[in-house]
Amino acid sequence: MTRAMRLTPLLFLCAMTVVFVVVPSSKGYSLDSYSVYSAVQTFAAFGLITLALGLLMIAGEFDLSLVATYGLSGIVAVELGHSHPLLGLAAAVGVAMVAGAVQGLIVARLGINSMSVTLGGYLVLLGVGTAVAHARAVPYPDPNVGIRLDQPILDVLSWRSLITIALFVVAALVLRFTRLGRDVRAVGGSRRASRVAGVRVDRMIVGVFVAGGALTALGGALQAYSLSTATADPGLEPLIFAATAGLLGGVSLAGGSGGAAGIAAGALALSLLQTTFGLIASPDWVASVVTGSLLAVAAVVSAPGLRTWWRGVRSRRPSDAREAA
Amino acid sequence: MSTMDASAVELAPARRGSARKAVHALLVLAAAVLVAGAVTTDGFLTVDNARAILASMGLVGIVAIGMTAIVLVGSLFSLSLGVTVAVTAMAFLFALRWGAPVAIVLSVALGALLCAVQGSIVGALGANPIIVTIAAGALLKGLATLLSGGTSVYPPADAGFHALKDTVLGLPVAIYALVAVAIVVELTLRRTRFGQELLLVGENPHAARTAALPVAWVTTGAFAVAGACCGLAGVFAGALNGSATLQLSGTYTYDAIAAVLVGGTAITGGRGSALRTVGGALVIATLSDLLLLRGYSTGVQIAVKGAIVLLVILTLHLRESARA
Repeated sequence: MTRAMRLTPLLFLCAMTVVFVVVPSSKGYSLDSYSVYSAVQTFAAFGLITLALGLLMIAGEFDLSLVATYGLSGIVAVELGHSHPLLGLAAAVGVAMVAGAVQGLIVARLGINSMSVTLGGYLVLLGVGTAVAHARAVPYPDPNVGIRLDQPILDVLSWRSLITIALFVVAALVLRFTRLGRDVRAVGGSRRASRVAGVRVDRMIVGVFVAGGALTALGGALQAYSLSTATADPGLEPLIFAATAGLLGGVSLAGGSGGAAGIAAGALALSLLQTTFGLIASPDWVASVVTGSLLAVAAVVSAPGLRTWWRGVRSRRPSDAREAA
Repeated sequence: MSTMDASAVELAPARRGSARKAVHALLVLAAAVLVAGAVTTDGFLTVDNARAILASMGLVGIVAIGMTAIVLVGSLFSLSLGVTVAVTAMAFLFALRWGAPVAIVLSVALGALLCAVQGSIVGALGANPIIVTIAAGALLKGLATLLSGGTSVYPPADAGFHALKDTVLGLPVAIYALVAVAIVVELTLRRTRFGQELLLVGENPHAARTAALPVAWVTTGAFAVAGACCGLAGVFAGALNGSATLQLSGTYTYDAIAAVLVGGTAITGGRGSALRTVGGALVIATLSDLLLLRGYSTGVQIAVKGAIVLLVILTLHLRESARA
């Protein structure tokens, strides 16, 4: 990985911080600690699904069904969390882990492209969620759960964002310092080589699908508690957020590269951007166009063809090649 | 994607056999449930219902044929075809002020152009088609909302497009359009140089590149075919609905993917046909109709489609690995 690519997440985060600070004030809106709190809350809402998708991408996989898991887990948590919110949370995470395990097993054991398997999974989970919710928004009877989860701590944090940050820290430590983390990256880098090196590839793949489901479900369930309502179909927005944040956070679709810190930087940067849209009360289409463009840019930047072309350009200019060396 | 790595686990022959048996048993079971459902559901085995099924598959079928071109060229799926249908429907109703023929041509051309741009990014740079089409979908939604001001697009009062809503011999015009599109796309795939190149690129992109086939152009072309199909579906969607918003996107994208897969076109590209997709669309439409008649909710219908997609992917994969 080149130095420029390692710096991408940081540059992206800096750029979005500048946008977050400059754009609202240039339009006459003031920036206070509440704006920062809002941005961190957005990070809490989409951070865990981003981490989940990022882990899968590091392992060389993708999971379209995560966005349905996000919706379904909210429904499950709200429906089964009446007696105690933790019960609903556990049920949501459990359901998502089963869904992840089934899809992971199909992908790992049969070697079928994960995009197509998880598309089927997406429809199944979306359908189940919609059927359970009767295609309506399901309210959660106890609004105090959400209020407590979102209570500001030190002005800008909340229990929900602290949980999200803690899980990012755990993921970063595991990825960087444990054998498990090395193996996940190895599986994403080269499946054949890691198999030869004695990595239990199948188990790793099933593992990341299960972990991805669990993280996403936690994020979705907490979001539902926070809003005191759950809807089965969150649209594609959480997935667009996760994919954009992951790709601009230094994770590649080819697998093997990236880490939790980069993913966090990407997610935080996008959260700042989304909050900026909210602060200046821009119409919906602006957010849609900007996030769509960002994802398109991320897709182009991470495309293997672009890198090949760029290498070709550089090798034709010896001075640049020397510089890079 | 590294899942496509040749080093993916090969199942031991004995286990592969039992997995295949299990999947075949599931398929037989699914067919049995379908037949039993058909026989026991009031009003299913009637001419009127058969007509309703055919009427409902027209637009999905046309979009699904477009999706077939993308699957065949080896670019997995597009997740932006539903949005493209809605956007071209809006464009069609707007362009009716210049007359129906102009509006139809514009709508089809717009669909082809929008998808061709995505195809060129996928083909020339090797970008991931799912990510590119998700991004394009969001972008199109935003732009369409901006241009339409977020409100419904209505045709001019004196617009003459009512022929599109007619029925001929008891069937809507869209069904005849579906048949025509299927024949044209199938002939293009089998009889033209472009079609043959499309199948070759899907079958083995590396070999196609080595053989100096214009992979980028062929991929762009396949997406353009998909877009043109969406544009045509958009024309009918706009005409039948009488007004157009982004809501028209509906479930076209996923229904189309389900139809392509159920028809038996390989997800890995290169093998399949437009006619198979029409068969797949018929199965999906029949099933949706059956579930609807039995009073199942939309949620159940979506879940059943997802289960079918998974089942078909597994069946095709196991059949493929048995042949290898």
